[in-house]
Amino acid sequence: MIQFSAVAKRYPGGHEALRDLTFEVQAGEMVAITGHSGAGKSTLLKVAAGIERASAGTVVVHGQNLGALGETALAILRRRIGFVFQDHKLLFDRNAFANVALPLRIAGLTREEIGRRVRASLDKVGLLAREKAMPVALSGGEQQRLCIARAIVNRPAILIADEPTGNLDSEYARAILDLFASFNQVGVTVLVSTHDEAALGRLGCRRLALAGGALQAAPAQAAHP
Amino acid sequence: MRVWLRMHAHACADSLRRLFAQPLASTFSVIVLAVAISLPVLAAVALRSVGTITAGFETDPHVNVYLALDASDEDARRVGDALRAHREATSVRFVSRAQALEELKATTHLAELLASLDRNPLPHAFTVRVRTADREKLDAARAEWSRLPKVDQVVADFEWSERLSQWVRFGNRLLAMVALFLGAAVAFIVGHLIRLQVVSRREEIEVSQLIGATASDVRRPLLYQGLLEGALAGAAAIAMSWAVALWIGAELRALTPTYASEIKVLFLSIPEGVVVTAAAAALGLAGAWWAVGRQLRRFSPPR
Repeated sequence: MIQFSAVAKRYPGGHEALRDLTFEVQAGEMVAITGHSGAGKSTLLKVAAGIERASAGTVVVHGQNLGALGETALAILRRRIGFVFQDHKLLFDRNAFANVALPLRIAGLTREEIGRRVRASLDKVGLLAREKAMPVALSGGEQQRLCIARAIVNRPAILIADEPTGNLDSEYARAILDLFASFNQVGVTVLVSTHDEAALGRLGCRRLALAGGALQAAPAQAAHP
Repeated sequence: MRVWLRMHAHACADSLRRLFAQPLASTFSVIVLAVAISLPVLAAVALRSVGTITAGFETDPHVNVYLALDASDEDARRVGDALRAHREATSVRFVSRAQALEELKATTHLAELLASLDRNPLPHAFTVRVRTADREKLDAARAEWSRLPKVDQVVADFEWSERLSQWVRFGNRLLAMVALFLGAAVAFIVGHLIRLQVVSRREEIEVSQLIGATASDVRRPLLYQGLLEGALAGAAAIAMSWAVALWIGAELRALTPTYASEIKVLFLSIPEGVVVTAAAAALGLAGAWWAVGRQLRRFSPPR
């Protein structure tokens, strides 16, 4: 589903965020990317989601070589990947419903279809009652869930989350991770990054440990899969 | 195809909603645009109204030949023959003294005054249509004709009306220039408004691009907004200049009750109004296109 071969990412200015990264995520798999902040987790996820382009190597997602795609094709591919941003990237000038509806409006769905899918999506994250609420009126955890609702509203086969448990207390973090696990159980390929391995806890998923932009020698496997 | 139509409908509805979301700002910008558009429209109306006055005059090259008051019918016949034989004359019309008097009585209010005169003050006259408007040939013909016996005056009085129509032509050219400049101004104003929109919606545009909006997805609602602003401004400009034309028409009638029948304000026809509105919409679209392209390049899309 997601294949990295010898991927490197250098930012203008010389910072090398990723180097010689090779791994594969199978369809229906759930993988956690771990590592300290600055290890390159966010960059890896953005490259995998087609938000940033690799400087070297090949990235294949949904069977498409991202490096060979033009800007428009890449944008359209991004619609098939749900992305939960570290800083949420919610729009504060519109309510919860409109935030979740954004990807569907871009895809040009009918009003009825949008209403149905947005409510289903809000329901899955437990925010159905708050569809009219403005994002400022939502707590940090609720904003996080709103962002997740927006990421899944297009029913993507791949869901990528950048530090979804970042600022949440451990109980809330576990609930969020359980949510991702439940998406994974219905067949969605999930890629989650976290700097806090403890939060992954009992979650029995494969882990890719990142340090200095490279994979660490032996990816730690979960104790009991 | 249906998705494509729906995306356009979405974009159109979206830009309408944005216009109405800020009614005051939208109204002001539309008024500014409308003023810029209504100036050339009003100038065009003025020019064409003046044009109808000159259209009433004979601007065909012709010369009036007046005989002396003591010229006899026999003298007139001889002059007429000489004129008809001349190479520059295409047609010669004879107006006798009596005929001229009758015409004057019929077309003016001078009947009583004329009746009080003991003799006809008008001479025999000829109207000669000439082949050429060329000054030298005309002057030569005039000189020849004024030497004919019993000819008093040879007047080429189409000259001033020709000069007037030249002024109208000049005015039309000036109008084209003004329209060009103000059209460019409209495009730039719309472009600027769209640029402000892009800047104020920067976050939305960035998030949309992150979650899969293509450049044309981003551009579409903004282009519709430019189109709508242009079209609204065009319609408003027509309404404004129509009101001004009505008012000026009324003022003109009040000022010149006796001979105002000739001065009429000619407003645009409905198809012309549609053309003006469409042109304004096109200008709005062009301005929006220019601004969106510029701003999006500045944002540098995610790489």
